[in-house]
Amino acid sequence: MAAVQDTAVVVGAGAKARPAAQGRWASIWAKHGAGYMFLLPWLIGFFGLTLGPAIASLYLSFTSFDLIRAPEWVGAANYVRIATADPKFAAAMRVTFLYVVLSVPFKLAFALLVAILLDRGVRGLTVYRAIFYLPSLLGGSVAIAVLWRQLFAGDGLINSLLAQFGIEGPSWISHPNYSIWTLVVLSVWQFGSPMIIFLAGLRQIPTDMYEAASLDGALKFRQFYKITLPLLTPVIFFNAVVQTIDAFKAFTPAFIISGGTGGPINSTLFYTLYLYQEAFGNFRMGYASALAWILVLIIALFTAFSFLTSRYWVHYDD
Amino acid sequence: MTHRISRRSVLAGGAALLSYAAFAPRAFSEEARLRLLWWGSQTRADRTNKVSELFKTANPGVAINGEFLGWSDYWPRLATQVAGGNAPDVIQMDYRYIVEYAQRGALAPLDSYLGSVLKVEDFDQVQIKGGSVDGKLYGISLGANSTAMMVNTVAFEEAGVDLPTPSTTWDDLARMGIEITKAGKRKGYYGLSDGSGVEPLLENWLRQRGKALFTADGKIAYGANDGAEWFAMWQKMREDKACVPADIQALDQFNIETSPLSLGKAATSYAHSNQLVGYQAINKDKIVLSSHALISKDAKGGHYRKPSMFFSVSAKSSDPELGAKYVNFFVKDPEAAKILGVERGVPESASVREALAPSLDDLGRAALDYVSGLGALAGDLPPPPPSGAGEAELALRSVAEQVAFGQLDAKQGGETLVNEVTQILSRG
Repeated sequence: MAAVQDTAVVVGAGAKARPAAQGRWASIWAKHGAGYMFLLPWLIGFFGLTLGPAIASLYLSFTSFDLIRAPEWVGAANYVRIATADPKFAAAMRVTFLYVVLSVPFKLAFALLVAILLDRGVRGLTVYRAIFYLPSLLGGSVAIAVLWRQLFAGDGLINSLLAQFGIEGPSWISHPNYSIWTLVVLSVWQFGSPMIIFLAGLRQIPTDMYEAASLDGALKFRQFYKITLPLLTPVIFFNAVVQTIDAFKAFTPAFIISGGTGGPINSTLFYTLYLYQEAFGNFRMGYASALAWILVLIIALFTAFSFLTSRYWVHYDD
Repeated sequence: MTHRISRRSVLAGGAALLSYAAFAPRAFSEEARLRLLWWGSQTRADRTNKVSELFKTANPGVAINGEFLGWSDYWPRLATQVAGGNAPDVIQMDYRYIVEYAQRGALAPLDSYLGSVLKVEDFDQVQIKGGSVDGKLYGISLGANSTAMMVNTVAFEEAGVDLPTPSTTWDDLARMGIEITKAGKRKGYYGLSDGSGVEPLLENWLRQRGKALFTADGKIAYGANDGAEWFAMWQKMREDKACVPADIQALDQFNIETSPLSLGKAATSYAHSNQLVGYQAINKDKIVLSSHALISKDAKGGHYRKPSMFFSVSAKSSDPELGAKYVNFFVKDPEAAKILGVERGVPESASVREALAPSLDDLGRAALDYVSGLGALAGDLPPPPPSGAGEAELALRSVAEQVAFGQLDAKQGGETLVNEVTQILSRG
């Protein structure tokens, strides 16, 4: 630490002695140089690995590009095909929206429930917090998706448990009516990160409010509706937006559980999985880029919509 | 002033590092480097790496760097490497993709090495032609295989059902399936796998009807009524419980581990002859190969000897001749052949087959006997599938599932399939 500060001082002294023409850049460098140097890894990552590829993909979305030959400009043809002549796009949209609509509310409700339970002064809270957070750390991984496949397979653990109660469970992952539910349950199981944020939000609510409420005779249930929920709306809003964006981008579980096919009968054909199939399965990188930009647009619209409606239900303290 | 000096020295140091980084590989690259990429199991990797060691011993000063992946991860990786100008020198290539890669200029034509570096005169000429696209040679076949039915002999015995023979018809097979299911010797066990979504099986059935999957100029070569009859046949088998129900078949990701046979759900599965080694490795019961059922007693067989896979050389390779030399070693050296066995199919070279025969184990011999014993069941090699064939295969699977789960009837299935495949092929 000391060494860094020393250098900064010396740099500053040297720069000030410079003539005026160089002076502006030199003084900017002197003032912020160290900061930019520290930022450099992130800057390289942002421009090289995020912004650069994003711009390239915008260009590619107007081309026909098979990954091997040079891209060929086709104008809006890719977007026209998406809008008019791609039944799989429509199928992928349906599956993805269904997944978002099912998984986000269930996950948030479950996360809030667990957060409230943990907030009530459980002994060994930190241990529980860590345990409950664990699925979120593991959840996106291939290993968990494989495990899920085993659990929900026709003769997997879930059906063995059901059999104890005399219920013959279906083959969850390989029946088009149920496969999406296994993915929703997998998503809800990864409730850790919204839970931690809810927990932090709950801790912000002043306890004297509850005390006042109970003096007035309000029951727990009423306290929850009148105090907890309204005061928690900014946190709910944040979690909802973040989880919705995440749900739109979900890929790994569907990829593993369907073996990359999106089957049975496209019932797990997540939008990103279809995008991946087009890009790397069918060598249509230009078309896949157009699909990616449509997804960006959809997520942007959803987020904007959330922000616009938020003023009617999100309450901020002054 | 300290600042300037320090910056300069930092710059100088950086420049030195950069130049070192730029020139260092060259200093080491006195030996020739060869990069290989293939798909397959650990067994295949071990065999391949041993052959590479052998090649290095025979050609001192060559460094070989081999990588392998599973089938579904392989193609994205290869496509990305080719796009990035970083393709491996020697590429394992499939019959399904060779046209796409060759026509896009990713593979080096090998014709100029024939006779000099590549000594494949004693290959079956049909198989040489199989590796050609637009009149140029882009792939050397690593072995021949044929589509086959994997049969669990123990499950057949338990149910008291005779094993299928080369003259078994689809009607016979359906009856066998029903008997095994009815015998109920194992819990939740069925006679047959549902093959309605398995493209090589459909192809075999179509060939018996004098049709094919694709024409030589890359169009669909069967009609909606063919598709409808195909789906109707399987629909009946599902209704009769000759084959597994839809939700069990849907577990199959079309690899050895997830096939109904390996999952312990059915007594048959549809695969390729060189996969017998892999099937037996994960199944306790004895597995044998059987040719596919016939549409009628006097029908011609629909089989053909297919190049199981090729080795191709990248068009961007810095030393394509060395690549060709490696490929030649792989398919012609007798020691290499003993290491490789028939895991990649039956060797194409007659002399290698002879050298190999005495050292084969039972499984290897069974695979070899199967491919060489097809006799009248085997016909001509069809032209390589056109680009879009991979997508067409997924379409067959999806339509077959829609019929199996009752979303379409067999007739609608046939129409949907033909429409989708036609569209896919027209997009290319």
